[in-house]
Amino acid sequence: MLALDIQNLNKKYEHFQLKDVSFQLEKGYIMGFIGANGSGKTTTIKAILNLIRMDSGEICILGKHMAEHEVELKQEIGSAFGDINFYTRNKIKTLTNVIKTFYRNWDDATYYKYLKKFNLIEDKKIAELSTGMKVKYSLALALSHGAKLLVLDEPTSGLDPVARDNLLDVFRELVNDGEISILFSTHITSDLEKCADYITYIHDGRIIRSAEKEDFIDAYRLLSGTKEQLDSMKDRLISYKTNAFGFTGLIHTKILDPSLEIKSTVPNLEEIMVYCAKKEDIHG
Amino acid sequence: MVNLLMKEFKLSVSPFFYVLPFLTGALMLIPGWLYFLVLLYFCFITIPNMFGGYKSQNDLLFTSILPVRKKDIVKAKILFMVILELLHMVVAVIYGIISTHLYPHLVYYFFAPSMGFWGLCFVMLAIFNITFIPIYYKTAYKYGAATIASITAAILFAGGAEWLGIQNSFVHDLFKGTGAENWTVQLSILLAGMVIFAISTIIAYDLANKRFEKVEM
Repeated sequence: MLALDIQNLNKKYEHFQLKDVSFQLEKGYIMGFIGANGSGKTTTIKAILNLIRMDSGEICILGKHMAEHEVELKQEIGSAFGDINFYTRNKIKTLTNVIKTFYRNWDDATYYKYLKKFNLIEDKKIAELSTGMKVKYSLALALSHGAKLLVLDEPTSGLDPVARDNLLDVFRELVNDGEISILFSTHITSDLEKCADYITYIHDGRIIRSAEKEDFIDAYRLLSGTKEQLDSMKDRLISYKTNAFGFTGLIHTKILDPSLEIKSTVPNLEEIMVYCAKKEDIHG
Repeated sequence: MVNLLMKEFKLSVSPFFYVLPFLTGALMLIPGWLYFLVLLYFCFITIPNMFGGYKSQNDLLFTSILPVRKKDIVKAKILFMVILELLHMVVAVIYGIISTHLYPHLVYYFFAPSMGFWGLCFVMLAIFNITFIPIYYKTAYKYGAATIASITAAILFAGGAEWLGIQNSFVHDLFKGTGAENWTVQLSILLAGMVIFAISTIIAYDLANKRFEKVEM
């Protein structure tokens, strides 16, 4: 079953547009949604949550159309925006007491279980929480109302490496039983190496690729060679960078000729992101 | 719907604004004052501060993430505003009754706190609502232009009404002459004011709802 199914999402702004954004997330998995700043991650997430109006396209969550079942589906969705804060001068307790009245499946026992697990103190004000704690508070809220899909916008941005690692462990734990699915956007690719099952890469409002992590990485090879070799294969490369010794460039694995005597390695996500972005910026 | 209203009470709006009517209402005790001002303080103080609070706390996004219908978000906000307006009104009326007992022989230059006057206050708030609410819901966060426009409209009405009360013999007679003693006349003006207030606010809600549908967070 699909936790999230986005088909041909289009949204045009004066200086930016989402173009035919489509991707799917299987139930029980984590999808990392990567892209540079301003590539359309937050806009897509806002469209998923019906916070902006799409020009065209369809969004289905847990098999139901978001446009028709918004209120019902929002009962099943938990969300967090890494860089946006609400009611920061209020205590956790006050905020929770208001929020819980909106959810029919709210469970106090689960809430207190997660408060304890995440070391959250109810009498603290939101402003007193660290960035990581704020995300954990959002997770505690989402889990207490039985959210099945967590949509998190840059939850790890601004976290120190320890807090980030800790949060990623929490994500993995949450999807363990196959009931909860997570879509989280980030521009920190190492987060994904650690915990994502699927990766969707967006650049300039278009999806470059959405696939299982291993397949995603395996679809590319990073080549290093001399300037002479570059001349003979320039056209086949996604993009390349030259240096004093020759070049390094990214190529689609399927068009790489194995008989070529050129050094090829499996790239990491950051390299894929950088070279793909370079191509898009050249070819527009 | 009830939970959205409770959210306003418990979280979004400072308790200061529930106390304020009791302070501004006390201004009714100033003998022969320009009593429209008592209710205008709601427009001057409560509205910009309350809506500024919503903006600074990201209330729009916070509420939009909750599992609620868009039109209920608008309805709850307007209903809450109306509750505060009625609170201001009721408290001012109580102080007004005390005032008339304190100064039984006072000659009023401006309108006295009579039933007819409260009817005019309802019309003033009706004008305020029908101006403020639709303009505000073009964005659902920018409150400056909406506040200025609606306060201007309300002041123009209040000023115009006071001017007529002094200059126009019919209006003068209605509120300060024989009409002032006529219970039926006074009650009719009050009821008419209430009806105008209700209709204006419902129209404002309808317009706001249509505009809010197009608002993007």
